[in-house]
Amino acid sequence: MQAARRLASLKLQRRLLLPSQAESPSISIPTAAAAAAFLHSHATSFGYKQVREEDKSKLVGNVFSSVASSYDLMNDLMSVGLHRLWKDRLISKLNPFSGMKHLDVAGGTGDVAFRVLERVKSVGHRAMQGTLTETEEGTHIYVCDINPNMLNVGKKRAAERGYSEEHCLSWIQGDAEALSFEDGSMDGYTIAFGIRNVTHIEKALSEAYRVLKQGGRFLCLELSHVDVPIFKEIYDVYSFSMVPAIGELVAGDRQSYQYLVESIRRFPNQEKFAQMIQEAGFQRVEYENLVGGVVAIHSGLKL
Amino acid sequence: MASSLAARRLLSRAAAVRRFPVPFASAPAPAMAPRSFSADAGPPPPLPPPPPQPVVEPPTSEGAGASSSSTTAGAGGAHRSSPGAAAGARRQGGAGYEEEQEKVLRASLLHVPRMGWSESAMVAGARDVGVSPAIVGAFPRKEAALVEFFMDDCLQQLMDRIDAGEGEQLKNLILSERLSKLVRMRLEMQAPYISKWPQALSIQSQPANVSTSLKQRAILVDEIWHAAGDSGSDIDWYVKRTVLGGIYSTSEVYMLTDNSPEFRDTWTFVNRRIKDALDLQKTFQEAAYLAEAVGAGMSGTVQGVLNRVFQNRSG
Repeated sequence: MQAARRLASLKLQRRLLLPSQAESPSISIPTAAAAAAFLHSHATSFGYKQVREEDKSKLVGNVFSSVASSYDLMNDLMSVGLHRLWKDRLISKLNPFSGMKHLDVAGGTGDVAFRVLERVKSVGHRAMQGTLTETEEGTHIYVCDINPNMLNVGKKRAAERGYSEEHCLSWIQGDAEALSFEDGSMDGYTIAFGIRNVTHIEKALSEAYRVLKQGGRFLCLELSHVDVPIFKEIYDVYSFSMVPAIGELVAGDRQSYQYLVESIRRFPNQEKFAQMIQEAGFQRVEYENLVGGVVAIHSGLKL
Repeated sequence: MASSLAARRLLSRAAAVRRFPVPFASAPAPAMAPRSFSADAGPPPPLPPPPPQPVVEPPTSEGAGASSSSTTAGAGGAHRSSPGAAAGARRQGGAGYEEEQEKVLRASLLHVPRMGWSESAMVAGARDVGVSPAIVGAFPRKEAALVEFFMDDCLQQLMDRIDAGEGEQLKNLILSERLSKLVRMRLEMQAPYISKWPQALSIQSQPANVSTSLKQRAILVDEIWHAAGDSGSDIDWYVKRTVLGGIYSTSEVYMLTDNSPEFRDTWTFVNRRIKDALDLQKTFQEAAYLAEAVGAGMSGTVQGVLNRVFQNRSG
């Protein structure tokens, strides 16, 4: 009975996905803007709701405030642990080196930053075996997140793992669209599961380009679009039915995970996002689908 | 006959100009191959080959006027236009990816004697030229890119030296002496890196890299035969490529443990092997026997794998 009601509401929701006026009122009506309108209009999206530009940051902040403490547990449950492998793959593509200046955006809990640090250490150890290489000090990793609750979780974890003693990590609250770092100051820029929540993706990409050095690399790990025919249907059912239910059960917050699932659908697909990265100035823009497109890693090079 | 030789030479030169091979897909099993979405993603298409010049041999005065140095690859004689044009076309786009990659890899070579063919050498090279070492992460197959760059660069230098006038001196020698001199010229380029060359050989023999390294060696051997002035039929060509490829590879490995001054023993080794090969009355069967014997002598080593693949390719 509940399942039938949920299916009915889903059908109703899909029927209402019509193009709408760019300057819609602030009352939340479940409509979807066209792709072109999405890229250029001043209205923006929050899940399937059309909201004013100014409201999105606040609403996204609310989402992540409410999930901060159970973020990793929910990630494990939603992706059956695969998110760890995806992040490992991201770091593998990044190819960290000793002496690196790295910026991880929207990585408040520190998952990506800790991996980068571990990789830099192992690279340094491997180099030491050569007996001729000097391991250069000066590695520094900056974690930037707009949400202070997420940063607090990350700081706590860093303390638990003993990273605080090494002074290699800096935790900075900031907006991906207006970074507080100097031009050409970073070797690497990663953003994992965060670009989707940015109000203006183009601005975030421009900022990434600005803060990177010549030769610096941009990498983005994001939930994306599944193209494999049969898998697509299975994935849809899983996304819209199970994920919000798990969110309600474990984190006590169905609404935030409903937002998560809906925002995945609204995000540009792999090709379009690659175009956006290229338009920001990056070269050698490539992407790699994982699990049939559930997740995609995009990379670009600044020259 | 002459036209087929000219075509072969142009193909060899075109391959040399395309310095960086197309990257291989290295994604894990469930993931699709990475897709390229940049205008600079692949090497630029090679220019149409220039019309063959009626004068086959450059005049003596022109050869004397031209000069080349080891630090400027591709700086051949003034009479050669296509490599310059290709380089010019590439530079017009501003700081392109290929240009930056070449700069970084060239600077990395200076660190190879100390750090080996490693990411550390490339990181140090990137720092030298003022580029973020993060660019190394964008190189396909990383260490292999460095070794392959070196191989391509040496081929280019060899071609430049031949065109710049050393080719003239070869005309006074008999065929076996020409081949010996050319093989020696090429192997001498590896002398500064001889202590790290076993590592380079092992990198080249990895599954992802072996096809590129075989192509590079085949092109090198073709170029040596061409510079020696030998012209043969298609059937002869493949036998000669196999024989000289085997001799080159065995000499390369011999050189690794040669402690004589200026590698004198290696040059003696090269001279004898080439003389032996040419003294076999040039029959196909005896040449094939020699190739097999060379391959058998190398069994169990890294180079033996390459030799066997060489034989399979020409068979």
